[in-house]
Amino acid sequence: MPDKSVPENDPITSKSYAAHYVIATVLLIASLFWALWDEAYGQRPWKAYQHEWRDRYTAFLRTAQSKSNTSIKDVETSSDYQALAQAYKQALADTSAQSREITTKLREVNGRLLAVRSVFTDRRAYVNALTYQIETESSASAKQSKENELNKYEAQTATVEFPDGTRKAYNFHELEDAFIKVNDQKTKLSVELGTVLKPVTEAKSKMDQYVTDHMVDLTPEQIAGLEKKTEELDPKILQINVAEANIVDRCESCHLGIREPVKLTPAAMSGKGASRPDEYARAFTSHPEPELLKIHDPEKFGCSPCHQGNGRATTSVAKAHGNYEHWLWPLYTRQNMQAGCQTCHASDMVLTKPDGLWDVIDAGKRLFRDRGCVGCHRYEGYDREPEQLQSINQQIKLFEQQKVDNLKDAADLMKQADAAQTNEEANRLNNGAVALKVANSKIDGRLQQLDFETHSLMQDMKKVGPNLKDVRLKLNRNWIPVWLKKPTDFRPTTKMPNFRLNDAQIRAISAYLWQSAFIDPLPRQKPGNADHGKQLFETRGCLACHSLGEGENMRGGTFAANLTRVGEKANYDYLVRWVHNARQRTRPYCPYEKKDIGPDDYGKKGLPYVFDLEHSRCPNDGHELQVQNMTVMPSLRLSEDDARDVASYLITLKEQQPSSYPDASFMEDTSLKAEGARWIRHFGCGGCHEIAGMEDEGRIGTELTQEGSKPIERLDFALFTEPAERGGEEPIKDPQDRARLPEGPAQRPWYEHKGFFEHKLAQPNVFDQGMIKSETEKLRMPNPHLAKDQIQALTTFLLGSQETSLPDSYRYKPEDARGDIQRGWWVVTKYNCMGCHQFVPGQETILMQQQFYKDNPEQLPPKLLTEGARVDPEWLRRFLSNPSLSTSDTNRNGVRPYLQVRMPTFSFSDNELRVLVRFFQAMSQQPIPYIPERLPTLTAKETDMARSLFSSTAAPCLKCHATGEVQHDQHATAPNFLLAKERLKPDWVERWILDPQAISPGTSMPSGLFRKDKDQWVFAGPTPPSFLGYEGDHTKLLVNYIFQLTPQEQQRVASAMGRSRASNKSPSGTRKLRATQAGVSSVGSGSR
Amino acid sequence: MDWHQLWSIASAPDNVPIVALIPLLIFYIYLAWKQASANDALLAELETSPALAKTHHRKTWPFRPGWQKEVHVWPFLLRIEFLAAIIVTIVLMVWSITLNAPLEEPSNPNLTMNPAKAPWYFLGLQEMLVYFDPWIAGVVMPTLIIIGLMVIPYIDTNPLGNGYYTWKQRKFAIGTFLFGFIILWVSMIIIGTFIRGPGWQWFWPGQTWDHNRLIYVVNRDLPDLFGITSNLAKGIFGVIVVGGFYAIGGFVAHALFRRYNPKDYRRMSLLQYSIMMLFLLTMVALPIKMLIRLLFHIKYVWITPWFNV
Repeated sequence: MPDKSVPENDPITSKSYAAHYVIATVLLIASLFWALWDEAYGQRPWKAYQHEWRDRYTAFLRTAQSKSNTSIKDVETSSDYQALAQAYKQALADTSAQSREITTKLREVNGRLLAVRSVFTDRRAYVNALTYQIETESSASAKQSKENELNKYEAQTATVEFPDGTRKAYNFHELEDAFIKVNDQKTKLSVELGTVLKPVTEAKSKMDQYVTDHMVDLTPEQIAGLEKKTEELDPKILQINVAEANIVDRCESCHLGIREPVKLTPAAMSGKGASRPDEYARAFTSHPEPELLKIHDPEKFGCSPCHQGNGRATTSVAKAHGNYEHWLWPLYTRQNMQAGCQTCHASDMVLTKPDGLWDVIDAGKRLFRDRGCVGCHRYEGYDREPEQLQSINQQIKLFEQQKVDNLKDAADLMKQADAAQTNEEANRLNNGAVALKVANSKIDGRLQQLDFETHSLMQDMKKVGPNLKDVRLKLNRNWIPVWLKKPTDFRPTTKMPNFRLNDAQIRAISAYLWQSAFIDPLPRQKPGNADHGKQLFETRGCLACHSLGEGENMRGGTFAANLTRVGEKANYDYLVRWVHNARQRTRPYCPYEKKDIGPDDYGKKGLPYVFDLEHSRCPNDGHELQVQNMTVMPSLRLSEDDARDVASYLITLKEQQPSSYPDASFMEDTSLKAEGARWIRHFGCGGCHEIAGMEDEGRIGTELTQEGSKPIERLDFALFTEPAERGGEEPIKDPQDRARLPEGPAQRPWYEHKGFFEHKLAQPNVFDQGMIKSETEKLRMPNPHLAKDQIQALTTFLLGSQETSLPDSYRYKPEDARGDIQRGWWVVTKYNCMGCHQFVPGQETILMQQQFYKDNPEQLPPKLLTEGARVDPEWLRRFLSNPSLSTSDTNRNGVRPYLQVRMPTFSFSDNELRVLVRFFQAMSQQPIPYIPERLPTLTAKETDMARSLFSSTAAPCLKCHATGEVQHDQHATAPNFLLAKERLKPDWVERWILDPQAISPGTSMPSGLFRKDKDQWVFAGPTPPSFLGYEGDHTKLLVNYIFQLTPQEQQRVASAMGRSRASNKSPSGTRKLRATQAGVSSVGSGSR
Repeated sequence: MDWHQLWSIASAPDNVPIVALIPLLIFYIYLAWKQASANDALLAELETSPALAKTHHRKTWPFRPGWQKEVHVWPFLLRIEFLAAIIVTIVLMVWSITLNAPLEEPSNPNLTMNPAKAPWYFLGLQEMLVYFDPWIAGVVMPTLIIIGLMVIPYIDTNPLGNGYYTWKQRKFAIGTFLFGFIILWVSMIIIGTFIRGPGWQWFWPGQTWDHNRLIYVVNRDLPDLFGITSNLAKGIFGVIVVGGFYAIGGFVAHALFRRYNPKDYRRMSLLQYSIMMLFLLTMVALPIKMLIRLLFHIKYVWITPWFNV
């Protein structure tokens, strides 16, 4: 045993635990208070926000009050207000005697009512309770006794003491009558008072309304109301609860200023003397886009459907914003805020509004489409045609098979019938055979319908990249490997991404392309005039899509290729054909047989080798052929000579001689072909290009429709998982790619969707870094060489691409005119119509930016702001399908021959024509179907009057408007009147001639031609005496005249005006030709 | 050494009990051991001095002959227990204020979390799943554990050691308990918490839990090592090996038990003794199975069409 001193007393019994208990108890109580505090404030940080809000907002409102007090003084001193105040005082004085009398009476009646009511309600309560007992009593005797009791009670009297001291005794029924009587008296008096005071209240409300109308901000009353509301704010969770969409958003528990009717900035909400807005100030600001909130009422949409975050969480800012590991939908960052739009607006493929409300998401959507992302990545709604075509092809195959089977069965049946024993049996079998043949003819009908759909789809289907079946005809062979090495070295703005191909891959791929391409001979073209070509190139509108020059010197649009060095790669003969009509194919392609159809196939069937939109049936199987190049490049309807001139000009655009490219004769090496095919499939080249043998290659990338809600674990950060989670060093080392990161090299952890998308887009193979992989295992995604803002836009788009739990009704998929607009924008942007035309106010077209058009604004293509209201939809359809409005003389503009820039022929399919026409109608809020206005026929006198207006020297219409006469039209700057009848809508023409500037600012058409004289529009210039006494509008007269104008009449007027003979040629001849065709489809569209 | 990884495991709210368990366990074993050895020393002294034994106080030290030999539960025991209750209440309150329930995202049937871990107290069972068939690790073993615990009072024939700490008087019982609790239960929980990472792979503490880590491990069955191919032969081989383990192990355990624990052996009936041996050998089999798996990559010993061991 250890030798230690032993205490005198037993420690077990003598030791005191007082100190232990004191300390433990103090700690226990402390932790209890801590728990209470935590319960009240620690877990409810929003309370601090609400206290702070009360102080700051009240202070803010007080300063606002003083400001509005001074401004209300200005309003109140105005004479109008004084007059109203006077009227109010007058009314008050007029009624004061009467109202005072009634008020006295009313007060007396009120006293009586009070006296009666207090007794009456008490007794009525007793009677009601007793009645209930009688009703629910089961035995008859008990009922009887209760009834007796009730009668006795009702007969008892009660004394009512009135305010004037009188007392009166009533039994229950008398009491009831008395109560009703007094109550009626009171109602009557109240109504009377109201009637008497009506002029007073009206005058007062007029006064108040005047103040509200003339105050810029809120009135002092409104501010006082807000102040009161703020002071009475009781700390509590403020939530929006939408059961229908399962939205519970408590965001406004801290963001108290979001919906306030005043504009709250962080600076305004900062505490006194604060140098920078603190977290409270930033939380209290009002919503930056009140317009958006108006459309999306928070009571219906909440906050989190757009912004994400955890709407239910209230315990901390990080929790509420969803910025913690286990919340799958963290708040969108400021840069990617617009991702939220995509949740419901996925069907708006184009969101055009120039004021920047949704510019980022719109840019993302456009990039996704224009850069050919859809070539590899499926995305719901993009590039639907190939899928539809495939399903139609399958249906066709099924039907074909069924037809063959039916025929075989029918033959069998007939054979059996021949061998049948009895006549009846033979008849039955024969009937069966006939039925099968009838079924086949039904199938034929269905097949025809499918072929018709195919026709439209094939026309609509476009590829982002050019047709590579033509490389042999089109390209300088030696240029191809150089281009494949790194396309941006040759053309920095190209849509073609950099594929990081090694030399062996380049050799194999180029060899395959070269050897699989068409070898059909091209007609040799004689050289053209390059100077004239340059002039044509710059004036016909090529620059709306194409650009010339690089970097600072670039001019033109970025929609299509930059042509600065086109002369180094292109073959002149092919270029001529391309410029003349880019859609012209070398050979048609039959998707049913999956082969390119050549002259042999036609020859075998004895058919001429002709294929175009009218001759699009396959000679082998009768199904639809792809007869066009799948490019959006339209035909500018240039003459052969002009096409040669333009091509001659283009071929001069080069920085080095085509012959200076190193020899690439290995492309003829047939042993490389198979490997080339493998690599082409591997890299999915067929997604953007048409390549022989690769027509049906599927998309090689992952589907992106719901990429934003993919679990983060499914995004492969590879070796950078840990660095991304912990905020390690930026993995992208290449300075060029690093500069693409929207937020610069990583500063903080980026293990999130945003970080993944941004890194992936900046350097698609970044996640291969450090990995040992074979060529086929390496990440295939090419570098799309995007700029920072483009990556930000695409990231936003992808972040928003989420599976949503919102009900379908929240998604914006209108079926009415707004749906027409949605669908129309798709086509409008598909063909870059906005490069030339203005569709929405404020939108700047590519041509507007060019110096030539800045100097000559009258040469700009027409603005289409009110196109739907202006033109007849039927005419528009005809015009869009053939803008020359002529079958013979196509080398011109149909409506505005005076413009140098050319409205091209886009070869729209029937489907796209319908979409476009409905789009224009919907954009101008025109009813569908369109019913043309019937104009009254002018009398001879009226015609004379109208003619005098038409030819008035004050406004000589034919001076500017084209007449069809060549010499005159050289100086014309406005369309021919003869077109008006079919083209325009009369009511629009009338509005137009009244004030053209209002409809199309900057137009050269003069305004102020007419003035309002009483109820009549009269010509502003001198009018002949025949107008005396004419009461109709002069505008109507003129419009009717224009719509009844004949070529002869126009000619007469023109010659009378000393002009040379107006042409009587009109495009009406061509119109008749097309009228029937267009009429049929318009019926179809009208009934929808 | 990846301190970040280690810290992120140790600081996870889920793992607070385990992190606390390690020092607490060490401390209490030390405390019990200290008291037991003092008791054992006292017992040795009292056995030699009957006079002292008559008057000796309950406590080992200090001692005065005049002190009470026994004290009342109230207040002398309860005041300490109440103090402990207060302290535990404080700890629980502070814990619940500072750490929220570690809730995660809604479960996604298409995406299993990796590693998917059971609550800390079940991690030992989950670890057993690595070595045995699910129905053995998940059903048979837990049942045996429960039955084994229930059986203890009936096979424990040692009357000594009630109400005081001792080692000498209950070497076998305490040894077996420490083996079952520390080795088989606590250490497996610690393995499950700190060592099993993504893919339930073995990561030493301080090694980064890399989700993309690839390792080459081939686990073979014992019959395959001997070139046995037919199912019947595998079954028979397994019976022999497992039976051999119980026979040889039983023989060794019997010899040791008789040698070091003759008193207990004498007091036990055949039924008690054989039940104890069965549980003891099964208990010992568990770490043996784990070791041959971890060290020699042997998956199963006994293979039948119905179960594998």
